[in-house]
Amino acid sequence: MTFSLITESLPALLNATLMTILLAVISVVIALIIGFFTALARISKNKLLKGIASVYISIFRGTPLLVQIFVIYYGLPQINIEISPIPSGIIALSLNAGAYLSESFRAAILSVDKGQLEAAESLGMTYGQALRRIILPQSIRIAIPTMSNTYITLIKDTSLVSVITVTELLQMSSLIIAKTFEPLTIYLVAAAIYWVVITGFTLLLDWLEKRSSRHIMQ
Amino acid sequence: MKVINLENITKSFADNHVLKGINLAVDKSEVVVVMGPSGSGKSTLLRCITSLEAPNDGIVTVGDYKVEAGGENERERKATIRKLRQNTGFVFQQFNLFPHKTAVENVMEGPVVIKKMSREKARRLAENLLEKVGLADKCHHYPAQLSGGQQQRVAIARALSMEPMVMLYDEPTSALDPELVREVLLVMKDLAKEGMTMVVVTHEMGFARDVADRVIFMDRGVIVEQGTTDAVFNHPKEERTKQFLQDVKNA
Ligand SMILES: Nc1ncnc2c1ncn2[C@@H]1O[C@H](COP(=O)(O)OP(=O)(O)OP(=O)(O)O)[C@@H](O)[C@H]1O
Ligand SMILES: [Mg+2]
Repeated sequence: MTFSLITESLPALLNATLMTILLAVISVVIALIIGFFTALARISKNKLLKGIASVYISIFRGTPLLVQIFVIYYGLPQINIEISPIPSGIIALSLNAGAYLSESFRAAILSVDKGQLEAAESLGMTYGQALRRIILPQSIRIAIPTMSNTYITLIKDTSLVSVITVTELLQMSSLIIAKTFEPLTIYLVAAAIYWVVITGFTLLLDWLEKRSSRHIMQ
Repeated sequence: MKVINLENITKSFADNHVLKGINLAVDKSEVVVVMGPSGSGKSTLLRCITSLEAPNDGIVTVGDYKVEAGGENERERKATIRKLRQNTGFVFQQFNLFPHKTAVENVMEGPVVIKKMSREKARRLAENLLEKVGLADKCHHYPAQLSGGQQQRVAIARALSMEPMVMLYDEPTSALDPELVREVLLVMKDLAKEGMTMVVVTHEMGFARDVADRVIFMDRGVIVEQGTTDAVFNHPKEERTKQFLQDVKNA
């Protein structure tokens, strides 16, 4: 009974898992870009850029993600900005994770020894060249491991966009339960799928981290 | 012919007056050794030459590049500083090699990024320079895989890659274990023999005796005494110089 329930619902659940992974991957890529440039804005000498970046970070770290999703999906239509559920979810997830990632990037940039900038500038590089060629490549290597928490949180947070009718893993589970009345089994299967995805991803990150730092560490 | 000319260089950090109007001219192929107690302003002086610290007052000239404190517009000034730096090799106490690049990539970086040299040409140049500092077999090692002495020699090769008119060294051997000091000093001596203009902050008396054309003794932001190695080491005139030499000998 339970076993056949699982085998019958599994295709739909795995299909929805693809949506979960898709949401996570697209959002993480956008969040990395947002986070990277926000970090650059925060360390720049331009007061306006710095200010915009700080306000953005403060808002998205200082409010619940669920509220951010509601504002984007239910709130914006009131001023005639209508965004469909999936893009709304991606926007909310990317902006939210971007705010956290920018802090990791910034910390990584600041943690590069100041002798590195001096050595690059002593050769005659511009600040921009030194940043691109010397500081940022090292910052990215430093930042990757410190960011794994944010990536994993992002995967888990994709479940929140189920509230705006995106059929990802959690939403699909609820739909199946509405028909089968088997919440325990179905939610446990969903939990197991999340666990596999997140653990697999963690292993991948560990491997990447070892690869990228093998030359640098003593 | 003067390669470096410093006129009335003044530098303060808050109310700490570190350089109190330094005047110094260095001729082509001259080797100047700068000594002085800790905190006397030796590093600050070198760093003011390439604007790693901006002097509060005074004029720095290296070759054709002249940087005046508070002078001209900011853009032009930055461009001049970059040109000046491209012609001035700087060697740091802590090496400051780029840890994510191999020895040969460290040396190629300046020519490729700044001079837009092709990678093949830059690689050949870098390999030659690494051979010159005795590291032909370490081209593909990362800094973390090299000893301190080897890292400092890569750093010297990196500075030479821009074909500078002058080399500045800020205590290049003080971060090294004693047995590694010699290999770095030998490379510097060879460069001096080839006619490189050099300003070296160091307390290596032997090095000064062998290659310095002039020794400068600094204390509390002023040049207290200067002259040939023999004059300063064997017949110091100033009390502070005598005291310092005594301290170095007893150390
Ligand atoms: N960036 C800075 N900010 C504030 N004070 C500084 C800075 N750099 C140097 N100083 C101060 O300037 C003075 C001279 O320092 P400097 O490093 O030039 O001395 P030094 O002769 O090189 O000494 P050492 O032999 O210890 O290297 C010291 O009092 C130091 O504390
Ligand atoms: Mg010093």
